[in-house]
Amino acid sequence: MSDVHERLRRLLFVVPYVARHRGVTVQALARQLGVSREELLRDLELLTMVGRPPFQPDDFIDLHVENDQVWVDLDQRFSKPPRLTGPEAAALASAAELLRPAAQTALASALAKLEKVLPAQAKKMYRDLGGAVNARSQASAELGILTRAAEGRRVLEFDYAGRGSTAVEHRRVEPVEVFNHRGQWYLYGWDLARGSERLFRLDRMTGILRTEQTFSPRAMPPARVPDPAERGEVRVRFSALAAPYLRERFGGEARELTDGGVEVKVTGDERWLVQWILSFGGEAEIVEPLSARQAVAAAALRALEQRG
Amino acid sequence: MDRTERLLDLVALLLDAHEPVSWAELKESFPEDYGSGSDEATERKFERDKAELLELGIPLTYVQGDEDRKDGYLLDRSAYYLPEPGFTPEEMAVLYAAGSAALASGAFPGRHDLQHALRKIGFFAGGELAMPRVRMELGAVRETAALPEHLETLWAAASARKWVELVYASPKSPQTSTRKVDPYGLVLRRGVWSLVGYCHLRHGLRTFHVHRIRGLKMNTSKPRTHDFEVPADFAIDAHVPHAPWQWGIEPAVEVRLELRGPLATQAGAHFPDGRLERNGDSTEVVLKVTLLDALLKHVLALWPQARVVSPEPAQARFRALALAVAARHGGAA
Repeated sequence: MSDVHERLRRLLFVVPYVARHRGVTVQALARQLGVSREELLRDLELLTMVGRPPFQPDDFIDLHVENDQVWVDLDQRFSKPPRLTGPEAAALASAAELLRPAAQTALASALAKLEKVLPAQAKKMYRDLGGAVNARSQASAELGILTRAAEGRRVLEFDYAGRGSTAVEHRRVEPVEVFNHRGQWYLYGWDLARGSERLFRLDRMTGILRTEQTFSPRAMPPARVPDPAERGEVRVRFSALAAPYLRERFGGEARELTDGGVEVKVTGDERWLVQWILSFGGEAEIVEPLSARQAVAAAALRALEQRG
Repeated sequence: MDRTERLLDLVALLLDAHEPVSWAELKESFPEDYGSGSDEATERKFERDKAELLELGIPLTYVQGDEDRKDGYLLDRSAYYLPEPGFTPEEMAVLYAAGSAALASGAFPGRHDLQHALRKIGFFAGGELAMPRVRMELGAVRETAALPEHLETLWAAASARKWVELVYASPKSPQTSTRKVDPYGLVLRRGVWSLVGYCHLRHGLRTFHVHRIRGLKMNTSKPRTHDFEVPADFAIDAHVPHAPWQWGIEPAVEVRLELRGPLATQAGAHFPDGRLERNGDSTEVVLKVTLLDALLKHVLALWPQARVVSPEPAQARFRALALAVAARHGGAA
């Protein structure tokens, strides 16, 4: 995408936007456009030189910055932005697929309306490009209950079985954020019984219910999915077969071994660690600590004993 | 005159014009740009400008004059201005939340197009839109510095139907390979972006992980001509599965699992591709599997809440994998 193309698209949006939000601050406008303050000021300066030939004073766009606020005299020519292009509509539609499980009906009607406002040429391109990006996530329709509860700040109730846990517990949670990490959907929120922030995986939640109880947001650290690639004290070796994938996951943290394998140091509780090692089916080995080694050996032996 | 400025002036002129603007008038209005130099050079310059405006979706046409009007360029105002799409708050919320989450992930194909689209649909919304409560993180690979740029190039190439030349580092090979690929599309699965396209080196459809691309160039010759067409029966979904055991590497086998404990009630969410049979406290799930080890390793990690019921070779392989883990950790079978 050329710089001219990007800048033009931005500038054709700026004038109608400022006309609609008269006196918008430079900072807010820069944020809206995703550019730096300096870049925006350069854009605005250029706009003051734009007009129609023969370029008499009245032919220029009357735009000015005063006390860090941006003003434009209503310019009929640029009262609204141009229509969406085919690729713009296609990019929006493919991003929207992320939330298809949460809002099947609303998404279908939104996309129908989107297509309706496209000019004929763009519509063709939109349809041609329709299948080019597939970002649809896999999740149950209950994802929609989570997103709506987080938006409307309503307390959620559900049954939850944590990783590897054999017991189901009832939870009441103030939902703060719904997020997708490596394709898995999580809910991040304040667990009312435990009095702390918690992360829940959607596929381990059942009986999700949005209550009428509202809440005020609390100060909470940002949500994070525990990452085994953070430096820890558990040394794990991987065979040459598995090594390429571990190099991708751990980057420079993966230490090369003479047999073509790699060694990494990870962190995580024992239950997680055992499951993680098992999921490599013999291509991974805990070197230390001994207790973790023994836990993996014991779990593998128990799995062997199960009757088919 | 700066090109951006000239193009904006051109739009301003045409938006204001109530009758076609002739080439002679354009030359007169922009003497430095279209009025000086050889006819051929100035016409070429104008053609480039026109193409740029068309790409921005500006409905510029040339009309043949008749008795009532002269020849010239016309901008169809009714097709220029964005009409209010009339989204309901719920429709707006889903588009805005998904679009913002895709942008915030830092790597989404067509992110510039997406940014502009979000701005345009937000144009009619009163006040600032509420901060969306949905987020996406890829989280699958450590080194992602080149990913956004590569996705952008692939999006541009897929949009314009131009081939790309890519240098690919496969984990199965110590050497990189350079190949020409017609990019049909991009798929996001489990935090990994994949490119599906026709590979001219292998003469067939191939899938590439975008983070394994080490070098990428789009064919820039004849930018407005298609290098390829995507076959009508091409469905990108069929090439990149949601679950690793659906990779289509081995002949398909049906594997039956038994899920117990909490997993029994979460079976549908955990195995969306499976056929479920509820059996008292447990749930049986039947899966079509084309990469058996991938499923068995997954089952091993879920143990004791999951076990393989059939077929026998899958059970035997499951035991072999468990034995391999035990052996590496000093456990005796």
